[in-house]
Amino acid sequence: MELEVVLSSKPRLKILKLIYTLGQLNVSDVGRRINMNYTATSGHIKVLESEGLLELRTYGRVRMYRFSSSAKAQAVAGLIEAWEKQSP
Amino acid sequence: MTSLCSVFRDESKLDINYIPAELPHREREQRLLEEFFSFILQCPGRMTQRVILVGDVGTGKTALAQSFGADLTSQTKRKNLKFHYIHINCREFRGSLQPILHKIVTAFRSNYPARGYAADEILSTLMQVLDEEETTLIVTLDEFDSLIEKEGSDAVYKLTRIHETRQGKPQRLSFIFIMRDLKATEQLDDSTKSTLQRNIIRLERYGKPQLIDILNARVALAFRLGAVEEDVVDLVAELAYLETGNARFGIELLWRAGKYADASEFSHVRAECIRSAVSAILPTLRRSDLASLGFHEKLFLLAIARYFKENQEAYVQIGEAEKAYKVICEEYDESPKSHTQIWTYVQYLSKLGILKAEVVAAETRGRTNRLSLPSIPAFELEQEMQFSLQKEKGEP
Repeated sequence: MELEVVLSSKPRLKILKLIYTLGQLNVSDVGRRINMNYTATSGHIKVLESEGLLELRTYGRVRMYRFSSSAKAQAVAGLIEAWEKQSP
Repeated sequence: MTSLCSVFRDESKLDINYIPAELPHREREQRLLEEFFSFILQCPGRMTQRVILVGDVGTGKTALAQSFGADLTSQTKRKNLKFHYIHINCREFRGSLQPILHKIVTAFRSNYPARGYAADEILSTLMQVLDEEETTLIVTLDEFDSLIEKEGSDAVYKLTRIHETRQGKPQRLSFIFIMRDLKATEQLDDSTKSTLQRNIIRLERYGKPQLIDILNARVALAFRLGAVEEDVVDLVAELAYLETGNARFGIELLWRAGKYADASEFSHVRAECIRSAVSAILPTLRRSDLASLGFHEKLFLLAIARYFKENQEAYVQIGEAEKAYKVICEEYDESPKSHTQIWTYVQYLSKLGILKAEVVAAETRGRTNRLSLPSIPAFELEQEMQFSLQKEKGEP
């Protein structure tokens, strides 16, 4: 998927920002925090996972997503950090 | 906030959650705890340990565990070892294992879902998280009795035998259990008991000299120099000793008395402030006890109340009390009773808990009795006695 396609989605950027800030979250928690239903949230997270930005950690039945250690993910994390620092 | 003319230097040092750097008279127990957990510094991941701390209220169990946890955390940091210490009061979670385990997991994974997962699942998540973090963990379960009462043998068994299901993997989770007594463990089944009760550290009640040391250490940290005199500390220690050697009670009493001193704009904490503090903490003396006293017993108590009100002292010698009693008798136009009769009053009033009498060495030679008012402020006692005596004399 092209960069502009992955990052042109407002919910996906919201999800990235949220997980960057809070560390690890499951799909329900992400959906609740960005006010989106489970299916839509899960769909966006799948995209981010398939692009190597997020990775899944499984603890029994609990599935939590966090930033992966890939170069792409770290670059996005750097972007969010720089952006958030500059925000008033 | 501490005002400019306050008796306090730093009242937070008297807070219930403050853990002092040194724990007087608990050195032996601290060394024992260090010995039990020395493997965390020497060979982390090779073994685990379970220790029970048992002792009455205010014997320093929580302080000991927290101080030990803080020490071990800094030692492991110096050695670049991964280690965490978590202290949890089971009573805050009504003794339920699931929220207790959730609290532990969220120390590592803050967004772990609070609902929908059983204690077993959370426990295995915890072990997985500890493996991911490659860290060892000591969890202190304070007020462990409440967990046993709520969850029974199964929960304790799961906690203490979790490593048996992880053969060949690093051993990462150790426990300190804090209890007032071992009665609650009697309801556990034999196999659970056997894993639990290997290492027991008993914290004996503090004696009065030990309480004096503990209180003096806190006074030095919390109060301005000279704001609390020796006899005031002595009185607080005495009261804490009577309260089953409860150091926490004594420390709270000091704080409260400091507040009374500040409110009255005294430059130092007086014995009177301690009495006010005690009456605020303990149930006040029953009025029916006072009302049932004889006329001269009331006169004697009024004399003592006046003495303490006028002299900012913690104790009065029985001879001085008798002199004050004679003055009161004159005021009420009564002939004073003999010394032997007074001594009978003292014994009866001590039995009721209104007075406290103790034998001390006299200033010159021999021994004498000194009296104190352990639980009622002198001004309150004076008002009560005056009211009662007036009523008996039929005065308006």
